[in-house]
Amino acid sequence: MRKSSYMLLVVMMAVTLILSACGGNGNNENQAGSANGGGAEADKKVKLSLLSWNNETEMKPVMDGFTAKYPNITIDFQTAPPVKDYISKLQTMLLSNSATDVFIMAAENRNELIDGGYALDLTDQPFMAKMTDASKGMFTREGKTYAFSQAGWVGGIYYNKELFAKVGVTTEPTTWQEFIDLCIKLKDAGIVPLYDNAGDISTIQGALVASLTLSADPEYDNKLFAGETTFAEGWAKPLQLWKEGMIDNKIITSSMIGLTGDQIVNEFAVGNVAMIQGGPWNIPAIEKANPDLQFSMMAIPGIEAGQEYYAGAPNVGFAVNSKSKNQDAAIKFVEYLSTPEGLEQFEKGTGQIITIDGYESKVHPALEKAYKEGLLAGKFYLPMVSWPRHQEALRNQLVVSVQDLLVGKGTTDDVTKALDQKLKEMESK
Amino acid sequence: MKLLRSFQYQVFLLPILFFYTVFTVYPLIKSFFFSLTNFNGYSKEYDFVGLTNYVKIFKDAAIVSGISYTLLFAISTTILTTLLAIALALVLDRNFYTKNIHRAIFFFPSIPSGLILAYVWGFILSPIGSGVLNTVLHDVFGAGPQPWLSEPMLAKLSTILVAVWAGAGWHAVLYLAFLQGISKDYYEAASIDGANRWQQIRSITLPMLAPAMTISVMLLLTGGLKVFEIPFALTKGGPGFETHTITQVIVLRGISEVQFGLASAMSIVFFLIVLALTYFQVSVMQRREEKML
Repeated sequence: MRKSSYMLLVVMMAVTLILSACGGNGNNENQAGSANGGGAEADKKVKLSLLSWNNETEMKPVMDGFTAKYPNITIDFQTAPPVKDYISKLQTMLLSNSATDVFIMAAENRNELIDGGYALDLTDQPFMAKMTDASKGMFTREGKTYAFSQAGWVGGIYYNKELFAKVGVTTEPTTWQEFIDLCIKLKDAGIVPLYDNAGDISTIQGALVASLTLSADPEYDNKLFAGETTFAEGWAKPLQLWKEGMIDNKIITSSMIGLTGDQIVNEFAVGNVAMIQGGPWNIPAIEKANPDLQFSMMAIPGIEAGQEYYAGAPNVGFAVNSKSKNQDAAIKFVEYLSTPEGLEQFEKGTGQIITIDGYESKVHPALEKAYKEGLLAGKFYLPMVSWPRHQEALRNQLVVSVQDLLVGKGTTDDVTKALDQKLKEMESK
Repeated sequence: MKLLRSFQYQVFLLPILFFYTVFTVYPLIKSFFFSLTNFNGYSKEYDFVGLTNYVKIFKDAAIVSGISYTLLFAISTTILTTLLAIALALVLDRNFYTKNIHRAIFFFPSIPSGLILAYVWGFILSPIGSGVLNTVLHDVFGAGPQPWLSEPMLAKLSTILVAVWAGAGWHAVLYLAFLQGISKDYYEAASIDGANRWQQIRSITLPMLAPAMTISVMLLLTGGLKVFEIPFALTKGGPGFETHTITQVIVLRGISEVQFGLASAMSIVFFLIVLALTYFQVSVMQRREEKML
C-alpha cells in the first residue's frame, strides 16, 4: 500500500512536469504567431472582440451603431465589472495571449499595459486630435498616446439646499474658513454636516492638495515621482488643514469609517446629512430614493476665493491590442467612438459626460456648474490619475493612514511619512 | 498485466489525479516559482530575486497585522462556533413539535455567500444613528450610537460574531448527524445506573462526538484562516490595518499593487502556516479521540 501511494506521487509529479513543459511551448508558438497580425480587407467578414467594464446594456447603442455602419464587422462583446474584476480578467487574457482586439485602459492598469507593450500607439490616428489635452495626459507616455478617451467625470460636494436654508445659508461657501464655519453652524443646529467613510482618498483632501500645492507648482506630481520632492513637502500642509478643519472640529469622526457608499448616498437622499462627496454616478440613486430633493454640487473651496477645485478625471480610454489580428477593424471601432454619431450613442448608453471639443453633453442641472467651471475649465484633480505609477499602492496606504489618524493613532506627519516610505519601497522593487 | 492488477483500484483515481494536478499541484508549484521572482503579473520579463520576497513579508506592517488578526479570528470563531454548535445540536436533537423548522432556520445562514450576509449585517451594524442595531439600542435603552465597525476592538468583535452567527447552524447540523448515530442503549443503561442528564452528556455524548469535533474544528480552523468575505465586506479591513486578513493582504499586494512575486511568497508562507496548524490540530484531536473511547 505504501509502495503504491509512492507510485501515485511519482505519477503526479510526472504529470506536473509534462504540463509545465507544455505551457512553455504554447507561449512560444503564440508569440511567433502574433507577429503577422493586421491587414484585414474592407469587405472581409471580421469578428471584432471587445472587453469593456461597461455592461452590455450600456454599450449596446454604440455597438449597434457601429455594426450598422460596418455590416461586415460583428462584435464579440465581453465585460467584467470595474475595477479589480476587470483588471484581473484583462490581465489573465493578456498573459495567455487571448486578449480582445479592443479593451479599455484605466488609471489603475495603464502603466502595466503601456510598459508591457500590450496597447497600440494611437498618437498619429487622425481622430486623436479630438481628444482634449486634459484627457490625453492620463494615457500618454513619452509623447505617445495609447488610448482614446471621449468622456470624463467631475466630482465635488453635493449639498442639500433645504438644510442649508435652515441655517440661513443660501450661497455656496467660497473660502475654506467659510466652509468650516458652515459645517460648524450645521452641527450646532443638530444637522449632520458631512458623511465620509474614509474608504478612499477624499475629494476634499485632493482638492486642497491641488489648490495649495499644484496651483503653485503644476509639475509637483512629476517631481515627486522623479525623486525631487516628497509627500511631506506637498501633502503635509493640505492634510494638516484638512485635519484641523474636519477632524478637530468633529465634522468627520472615526465612527463614520464603517459606513458603506450606498448608506451615505441614501442618508443624503433622505435628508439626514447636509453634504456628501460624490460624482455623476450618484445621481440616479439620489433621485430614485428622493425625487423631490433640492440639491446641487459645489467645488471644494481653497484658502482664498477663486482657489476652488473639483475632483475629476478623464474616463477610461479605449485601446487597441498591439497583437490583434483585426487591428484595422479595431481602429475603425475607436474612430467610430470619436464621431458625433458614436459619441451620441455612447452618451445614450452609458450616461457619461462627453469631453470632446465641439460636443456639448446634456448634464443634470445639479452638475451644470461643476461641468462648465470644473471639468471643461480643467479645474479638477485626482491624485490617482495624476500619479504616474503605483496608484493603488499609494491610495491604499493613504486610506489606511487616514483611518489611523481618525481613530487617534498618529499625526498628519505620520501619514506623509508612510506615503514617502511606500513610494520609496515601490520604486525600489 | 501484473502491474495492472496491482493498480486496479488506483486506475479509477486517475481522472481525479489529473484534475487535482492541473488545478492544484501545478499552480502551487508555479506560485513557488513566482515567489522567487519579481514577476508583476503583467510583464513576461522578470528576474530571479532569490528569497528577497520572503524577507520583505516580515517587514510588511500589513502582513504582520494580517497574521495577528487572522489568528485571532480563526481561533475565536472556532471556539465560539464549536461551543454554540454543540449546544444547538443538543437542543435540536430533542424531540419537539417544530424541530424541523428550527433546524432549517438555524441552517439557513450557511446557504448564502458570506459577502451577502456581511452586506446585510453592514446595515444592521451601521455606525450611524439610523443603523438598525443602534436604533434598537437607542429606542430600548436610550443609548447613543455605537461605532460597531469603526472602533478597532468593536470592529474585530463584530466581524467575529457575524462569522460565528453564519457558521454555527451548519456545524450544529454536523454534530446533529453524529448525535443521531449514538445508540439510545447507552443512555438507557446510564439512566438505570442513576446518571443525570448532565452526567450523560459528559460521559456519553461528548466522547461520542469527538470524531465530529475533529472534523468540525479542522473545517472551522482552516476556514477561519482563509477568511476573506465577511471582514472585507463589513470593514474593508479597516480601521487602518486592524481587520486586514492574510488573504486580503495577498490580494492587495498581488492584484492592486502588481507585486505578484511578493503575493506568491505570502501565499506560500500562508500555505505552510495553515498546513502546520491543521496537522497539529488533527493529530492532537485524534489522539484525544482514542483516549476518550
